[in-house]
Amino acid sequence: MRWFPSFGLQRRNRELKEEIDAHLQMAIADRVARGETEESARQAAVREFGNILLVQDVTRQMWGGGWFEQLGRDVRYALRQLRKSPGFTITATAMLAVAICANSTVFSWIDGTMLRPIPGARDVGDLVSLQRGGRNFSPTPPFSYLDYRDLREQNHTFTGILAYHHDWITLTGGAQPERAYIANVSANYFDVLGIKPMLGRFFLPEEETHLDAVPNVVLGYSLWKTRYAEDPAIVGKSIEIARHPITVIGVAPEGFVGAMPGLRDDLWVTLDPLGTDPWRMTHRSGGAVWLNVIGRLRPGVSRGQAAQDLDTVMHNIVAAYPDDHLGANQITLDPMWRSPFGANGYMAATLPVLLAFAAVVLLLTCANVATLTLVRFVSRRRELAIRQSLGANRIQLVWQMVLEGMVLSTVAGAVALGLTSWTSKTFAWFFPANANPLILNGSMDHKVVIGIAVFSLLAGLLCGALPAWRSSHAPAIEVLKAESASISGGSRNRKLLSGLVVAQIALSLPLLICSGLFLRTLRNIASANPGFEQDHILTASVGLNIVGYSDDEVQLIRHKILDRVSALPGVKVASFTDWIPMTLSHKGDDAYPEGYVPLPHESLQVYHAEVAPRYFESLHIPILEGREFTPHDDEKAPRVLIVDQTAARRYWPGQDPLGKGLRVWGRLFTVVGVVRNSTHMLVNESPEPMVYMSFFQQGYETIVQVETEGNPVDLAPAVQNAIHEIDTRLPVFDVRSMRESTQMASSLAVIQSTLAGMFALIGLVLAVTGIYGVVAYRTQMRTHEIGVRMALGASRVDVLRLVLSQGVWLTGVGLMLGLALALGLTRIIARLLYGIGANDPVTVASVVTLLGAMSLVACYLPAHRAMRRNPVTAIREL
Amino acid sequence: MSEKDQYKNRIELLQGTLDMLILQTLQWGPQHGYGIVQALRLQSGDVLQVETGSLYPALHRLERQGWVQSEWKQSESKQKARYYRITAKGKKQLASDLDRWEQIVEAIGSVMYLKPKESAS
Repeated sequence: MRWFPSFGLQRRNRELKEEIDAHLQMAIADRVARGETEESARQAAVREFGNILLVQDVTRQMWGGGWFEQLGRDVRYALRQLRKSPGFTITATAMLAVAICANSTVFSWIDGTMLRPIPGARDVGDLVSLQRGGRNFSPTPPFSYLDYRDLREQNHTFTGILAYHHDWITLTGGAQPERAYIANVSANYFDVLGIKPMLGRFFLPEEETHLDAVPNVVLGYSLWKTRYAEDPAIVGKSIEIARHPITVIGVAPEGFVGAMPGLRDDLWVTLDPLGTDPWRMTHRSGGAVWLNVIGRLRPGVSRGQAAQDLDTVMHNIVAAYPDDHLGANQITLDPMWRSPFGANGYMAATLPVLLAFAAVVLLLTCANVATLTLVRFVSRRRELAIRQSLGANRIQLVWQMVLEGMVLSTVAGAVALGLTSWTSKTFAWFFPANANPLILNGSMDHKVVIGIAVFSLLAGLLCGALPAWRSSHAPAIEVLKAESASISGGSRNRKLLSGLVVAQIALSLPLLICSGLFLRTLRNIASANPGFEQDHILTASVGLNIVGYSDDEVQLIRHKILDRVSALPGVKVASFTDWIPMTLSHKGDDAYPEGYVPLPHESLQVYHAEVAPRYFESLHIPILEGREFTPHDDEKAPRVLIVDQTAARRYWPGQDPLGKGLRVWGRLFTVVGVVRNSTHMLVNESPEPMVYMSFFQQGYETIVQVETEGNPVDLAPAVQNAIHEIDTRLPVFDVRSMRESTQMASSLAVIQSTLAGMFALIGLVLAVTGIYGVVAYRTQMRTHEIGVRMALGASRVDVLRLVLSQGVWLTGVGLMLGLALALGLTRIIARLLYGIGANDPVTVASVVTLLGAMSLVACYLPAHRAMRRNPVTAIREL
Repeated sequence: MSEKDQYKNRIELLQGTLDMLILQTLQWGPQHGYGIVQALRLQSGDVLQVETGSLYPALHRLERQGWVQSEWKQSESKQKARYYRITAKGKKQLASDLDRWEQIVEAIGSVMYLKPKESAS
């Protein structure tokens, strides 16, 4: 029988029933023999025997047997109990499901982004992202190829260090040129990441600098699938990139999309496959700082040791080439989950905070469910007392209650699992269309499932154990003796209920305050003046330099585009730029202002953008001093610069910046103008110096920027046509209004406020229903007492006061505690706020008022009901 | 209400005493649950009223411990019932239970019948 436990169990159950039946039959037979009638004998025997089901239940516990059998029995019992009160079961399950789903959703987002920074890579925990100079938000690539080579070859703490540069390019050779995201990578790139080719091979060490007539390319899985129809014989074939033939040597496995977290690469080539940019491969500064670097730590080496090791190497490099390394050069290492390159810098600042909020929601829900359990418990005290007197010990009773909590939370977890498989994918909704190949989304893998299981377990323990322990202390005999009227519970139960209500209010207050702060931050960001015109501006990228034109052709086509677009009806001003503000991207380079002595370790990096004449006019950025660029600021003319106020004040304080020199990429630029500051990345950024260069001198990417008379989107087809009239093969991408582009800068604020708002709403509902439930329950229990009071002359107002006062007291204590909690919590989110202090009195006051008022209403309803009771019926009711 | 009264009036047996009583009853031959209740009541002069809620769990526990064995048999009145029989292991257990019991009785007795030297109050 041991091998067939369920079969054995059935048999034993049947036998137990028969055994008890036999007992009863013999008792009846004896009584009948003594002269009782059949019917009264039966009744007496059954009464004498006691509660048959309970006896069976307690006897079964003696079987022990497999823990599994025991558990099955307990679970069945728990299910039976839960079925008896469907209202409680459904409410509690729904609340827990929502709370667990809130946690698992945020966790799935963290899992999909921070915890899977490089999908497909081996042991991501050993990978670190290298940064040179100051740690800042969304930095530019920090290393030159030669510096990278020295670091790679001279370190003692890494098994490998890779370098890459993320860019975009057009795939030609098909009917229409297609934009693809490409990375120039060091030969060891795939090796260090631990990626094996799905087809063919990856790069060989000698291919890193060796130039071939026909360079090699590795295709990404999705590109191979969509553009090359999963051609199994693709390896060795020639494809065309920017009009250059290039040989496919391999295909990356499915899922791998590159080393920059949150961004997708479609294909990979070596660092300088065409030999077109020798400068970048042979210099250490002046436009040659272009590589992002990731290293894999040797086993047993800590990040700190590795950073020290690299710092030493870097120190030697700086000593050998001081002119190439002005400014700050210390090396910092970040684990990939918070790598500043790519999306994780932003994610690491936002998502953990949201997870903390979700955890508060879960706590709150547990407190609420525990309240419900406790109330429900009172009606079950007799049952528990009987079980206790039949020999069940306290641990067993607690276990049974915990198990009921567990069953609830397990069901809730299953519901949450279903919900999360959908909500995890909603993360991508928060990011507007943009020029970056963002692949940010939540993921539903085993980690999330484990996460849900842990959340459920925690919730089950919290909502089951507390009330269970509480009530198991009640002495059985007293409970059994107690009259039903005094069943409202002893003072200890009342204290616990009060504590739970206070906890709910105290937990929901910080949630509400934080969401209030986030919402006002979002409003401030939306209404903030970025310093440039966002309406009536249309931008369109033209894939000019990446389709294989010669430099002269490119300049010619650019002028043609400008002429044609300017002539379009509805266009006020047309210009070029190669950067769009507030799209979370920027370009930076080291700049050396003449006559400026930098502070030790001061970063000399400046933002830069290359803009054509009338750029400032179209964006309504006023020129404060000097002049704007003219069409004559071209390649033949001396290099010129326009700086913003921040740059002017930092480098030439109290002087006239006009005519001053600034050395970038080894070239001297002369300042010809100063413009007003405008927002570069985020509304709440700290201003960094910005220099504008002449588009016709330094422009790389071609973005047409048009100021329109009406709705800019209406002009999109006309602009596109005008460009295609010049050359139908010209790829035009990312045609959208400035308003749409700049939404990117507030997407994180939107995520924060949306989630915080939702969580706060859940918190509010839970807290208010919590206090309502407890006050209503207690008032109902005191119906009899209230009736007596009224009969003895208490007025309705007295009754109202009586009921209301306890609710007000609980609310007051909850609010005080909540305020203390909020003071701590808001400090964490302080750096995510904009235009509002973390302890903003208006927000705090309005939230306290809201929560207080809602609680009062929740208390008033039962008070009102009690007040209206007819004292006579109230007294009769026990 | 009747349920409550019934439990209120039950006599608490000292922990472990019930096991000893059951084993002792089975010394005289195999018996079923109902028979054990009757035997205990008769032999104690109606003082010991064993609750079924205690008896059956105890019987099943004793069986699991290997102190009794059970089999289904017909009673004299043609009622099919489960008969419990004491095992050799059970007899050893009974002997040690009895030893312990006598010690307790003696110990309690020596406390209870001791002449107080001085009045407590």
